[in-house]
This record gives sequence, C-alpha cells and structure tokens, in this order.
Amino acid sequence: MAGMTQQAQERHYLDVWGVAKSFRGTRVMSEMNFRMDRGELVSLLGPSGCGKTTLLRIIAGLMEADQGDVVLGGRNITRLPAHRRNISVVFQNYALFPHLTVAENVAFGLRARGTAKSACAGPVEEALKLVRMEAFAGRPVSALSGGQQQRVAVARALVVQPDLLLLDEPFSALDRKLRETMQVELKALLRDRGITAIFVTHDQEEAMGVSDRIAVMNAGRIEQFADPSTLYSRPATPFVMDFVGLSTRLSGTVTHSDGHVSIVGTDHGEVTAPGAYPPGTPVQVGVRPELAAPGPGENTISVRLADVMVLGSKTVLHGAVHGEDRVMCELPGIRTGLHRGEPVQLGWAVADTLIHEAAP
Amino acid sequence: MTGRLDRIGLLAVPALGFLAAIYALPLAMLLAKSVQTAEGFSLAEYRAFFADDYNIRVLARTLRVAALTTLLAFVIAYPTAFAMSRAKGIWLTVFLVALVLPMSLGVVVKAFAWSILFRANGVLNSILMGIGMTERPVRMLFTETALIVGAANVFLPFMVLPIYSVVRQLDTRLPEAAASLGATPWFRFTRVTLPLTLPGVVAGSAFVFSMSVSMYVIPSLIVGERQQNLSMLIARSFLYLRNEALGSTIAAILLAIAIAVVLLSGWLATRLGARR
Repeated sequence: MAGMTQQAQERHYLDVWGVAKSFRGTRVMSEMNFRMDRGELVSLLGPSGCGKTTLLRIIAGLMEADQGDVVLGGRNITRLPAHRRNISVVFQNYALFPHLTVAENVAFGLRARGTAKSACAGPVEEALKLVRMEAFAGRPVSALSGGQQQRVAVARALVVQPDLLLLDEPFSALDRKLRETMQVELKALLRDRGITAIFVTHDQEEAMGVSDRIAVMNAGRIEQFADPSTLYSRPATPFVMDFVGLSTRLSGTVTHSDGHVSIVGTDHGEVTAPGAYPPGTPVQVGVRPELAAPGPGENTISVRLADVMVLGSKTVLHGAVHGEDRVMCELPGIRTGLHRGEPVQLGWAVADTLIHEAAP
Repeated sequence: MTGRLDRIGLLAVPALGFLAAIYALPLAMLLAKSVQTAEGFSLAEYRAFFADDYNIRVLARTLRVAALTTLLAFVIAYPTAFAMSRAKGIWLTVFLVALVLPMSLGVVVKAFAWSILFRANGVLNSILMGIGMTERPVRMLFTETALIVGAANVFLPFMVLPIYSVVRQLDTRLPEAAASLGATPWFRFTRVTLPLTLPGVVAGSAFVFSMSVSMYVIPSLIVGERQQNLSMLIARSFLYLRNEALGSTIAAILLAIAIAVVLLSGWLATRLGARR
C-alpha cells in the first residue's frame, strides 16, 4: 500500500533487468529484460519449460535470480524476501489454507501485516463482495467448487492492496465454460480497480483474451512482446506465428526478389511475400487461416482436402501436405459442398502473407 | 455404495478376531481380578493403591518421564521430518534406514552401548574431565535424565514417521502463498505449517507417550529398581509379591491412562482435521 502512492512518475512500473537463472548448471534464463507499465495486464505466454513460471517466481521473490534486478515502482526489490514485496500471487491450484474458513483465508494477509482481528472484518467482507463470495464467508474452503476457490484466492490476493498481482495459470483447473466466464469477470475486476497484473499461461486464447500485451516466451527468452493484434497479424518469429494461432505454414526457398516482394518456391506452388530476401534464403511462408479463401487470389496454392471440420461458427479446411508443412483455411459459418479428398485452390493477398527466415 | 463398504469392512474381521482372542479377552480376565474379592465386587484395591504415597510417587514419575520423553522425541523428530520430506533418492533411503535399522537391534544392546557412554569411567565423563568441565565423574547412568534420553532414542521413529507422512503431503505452495501475502517466516510457521502438521504430531505423541508410559525393559536396564515406574510395579506385584489383585489394579490404571491418551489424541486429530 505504501509503495503504491509514490514513484508514479517512473517510466516503467515494473522493470526486470538482466535476470538470469540456472538450475543445477543448466541455464533456463539468461539476460531476461521485461518491462511493464502501471495498470497494465500482461501475459507471459509460452510452452511448459519456457521459463515463464521461473520469471513469475523471481518477480514474486519465491525464487532468487542468479543475477539481474527487479525494480517495482522505482524500488529495487531484488534482495527483498517475498513477504516484504507487497506482491500477491494467485497460484494454479489456488493454494487456499485448508485449515481456515473462507473469511480467515481472505483475512490472512491482513493478519500477517499485523491488522487486528476486529479491523479485518470490513475489508474482508468488501473483498468477498467483490468476487461475489460474501455468502460463503464462514464455510471451510474444502466445501467450495473450483470456480469459487479461485474467487476466494483472488479476494485473498487483492484484500492486501498489492502493488502487483501475479497469476500462475489461474484458469487451467477450470472447465472451458467456467474458464471463459471467469476470464471476463476477472479482467473487468482488475480493470475497475486499476490493478497491475501478470498472468502466466500456456493458452494463447486466454492470453489474448485477458491481456493488454503478451510476452511470448520460448527457451528462457522473450520472442515478442506486443499487443494481441500485433502478435497475431505480425508475428516476429516462426515460433510466435506457430504458438499464437494455427496458420498455413509452408517451407520454401526464395527464388527471386525485387526489393519489395520475394517469390518463394514451395511444394505447393509459388508464393509471393512482402519484404526483400536474397535468392536462395530458406524461409517459411504462411497466412492466417481466416485470410485465405477457396478460389484463386494474389497467391494461389492447390491442395487436396484432408479434412473438412464443420464447427458451427466456422468451417475449417485442412489440406493434405507433407512433413512440417500445414495448409488450413477457416470459413465463417457452416459451408457445404466441400468434401474430403477433393482438390481445392486456396487464395490470399500478398499483404497478408507472413514470411520468416527458417531457423538454421 | 453402502453395501460395497460393508463388504470391504469384512476385511477387518481377521484383525478384530485376533485382537479379541489374544488381547481383549485375557486382558479382561486379568483386569477383572482387580475388582474381585472373596466378598464380590470391590474397589478396595484401588483405594489402597491411591492411599499409598509411594504408589503416587511412582505414578507421577511414570507420567513425568513419559511426558518428557514425548517432548524430547518431538523436538528432535519435527525438524527431522522436514529434512526427510525434502530428501530425495539415496538420502531418503539413508534417513529411513537410519530410523528403522536401530529398531532391529533391540533395547538390550542399546542399553549396554549407552552404559559405555554414560558410566563413571565412560566416554562422556572422560571428555568432561579431560576438558576440565568437572573434577569428578558426573553421575549419568541410573538417572531420570538418562532414562528420558534413552527412551526418546528408542521411540524416536514412532514420532518421526507419522510427522513425516503428514509433512510429505504438505503443499509447499501454502507457505509460499503465505509469504506472498506478507507473512514473516515465523507467522508462516505458526499459522500455516504447524497447524497443518499437527495431526502428525498428535499421532506421533500418542504413540510415544503410550509406549513410554508403559515401558519396562528400558527403565529396568537404565535406572534399575531404584526408580520404579508403573510397569515395574506391576511386574513386581505378579512376580515377587504374587499379588494378582494389586498387579491387575495397577495394570487397569495403566490401561486407563493409555485409553485416555488414545481418546484424547483421536479427539484432537478429528478436531484439527475437521475443517479441511
């Protein structure tokens, strides 16, 4: 609470600088830099083992970095123990105290800061109201459903007015429908209260749904840190293109370049992509599935349909390809008249074509 | 569901039958002698037992030694259980072997080993005199302290294992959650770790207390007849005094203590466990 009032003029609210971490001699993170502003909702997105949880634990003070600094609100907290950082964590399994009631769980942080029992009642009730759990105050936490436990964990984390809220895969234990409801609810709650929060997740839809910006992590590095639409429409690396939304992806070699566009030869025909690449460069070209359509376009490839998936709100076509290549196309609504095994032409605009140099 | 549970309950029949035939029945026959006189039912033996100051002193010493043994075992076992819960692979095996192996050695061997350590010209006294801590040998053998140390040593596994089994299942994220909520290490320990591990402490204490309150071999070897406890009193009544009524009276009192400990710990365990 004390830290929240000052240092608002700092350029970056949270500044993780040059953080490195090794486990048993294996580098899992080196020279990590990560910055975010006050009031931002940011996701760390990546596959398991990419270092996102390590970064979260280092920020929370639950793990010590081998080197580097963590600065929050202008205060260097690198050497502060977790309990003096005023950073709340919502854990994946919520980590509610099983021996305490809902209200006692929420009051825990206040009691730990020396607030008298009688003075806790007001803030605890307010926090429980915030997550619509006030009717459960006296219940043991074991009597709660997953969604209710998550609400209590959020109330417990917010009641202490943290400078920063960290959420470690907070929705992964919930079923799909509940997960979407809770995402909407939690995002609105954090926005209303102006909370600065970091979500750790491996679910790209979740990351895109809840955050202002997403840091896509891979092998201990941030591959791209951008808002969801940039991340989706202009992925900086093949990894980001692949991790954030599936798309058509073809390996090929640049055959010709005129300084503005490059022609790439692939197994399924020539593809023109924006940008200049020297001829002979091995590249990956792709296009988001909803930007392609049956029929010829500026770029056109021919494939045989391997599958037609009618999903209701959209119909997804998968082309029969070899190896690492992938060809897919999403059409809105239910489409009939397309059948597995039939040849099809897919076309899209040159401007929508994504191109990256292939990883060596 | 109930029918299935009932049938699974049948699996307890062998154990119950064994207990009834080998434990409950003979014990009941023995204890009946404590209230049987020529004139019929009588509590005279109990009145006579509690009227004797010497018996009261023995009873008090027995309870004191058991309580202190339990306390010492707890103090040593609690941190050990945490170390074990963090141990992996070969280290965990080392811990478990170190705990279990001495049990197979038997108390007699241990007691003679201690006497090498504790006796007047023993290792400990030689060191104390060598570094000038004391002029003359300190009497260590045949003292209550030696008894408590020895008993805690023998019963230690029965304290460590129940605590270990609880600590091992403790979610390590709970203390972390507490830390992120601003709890100091001491607050985390007293409000989270200790309450959550208390069921193991209760179980271990119940084991160690009931074993040390009724121990016979260990005090016989370490302190001898000079400082008797209830079990030694019972043995003397049966073996030397041939007074079955007195022996079974003391046995009944000992059993009452044991039952009280079991009930109390059971009540504590359910109370502590009720809210999770």
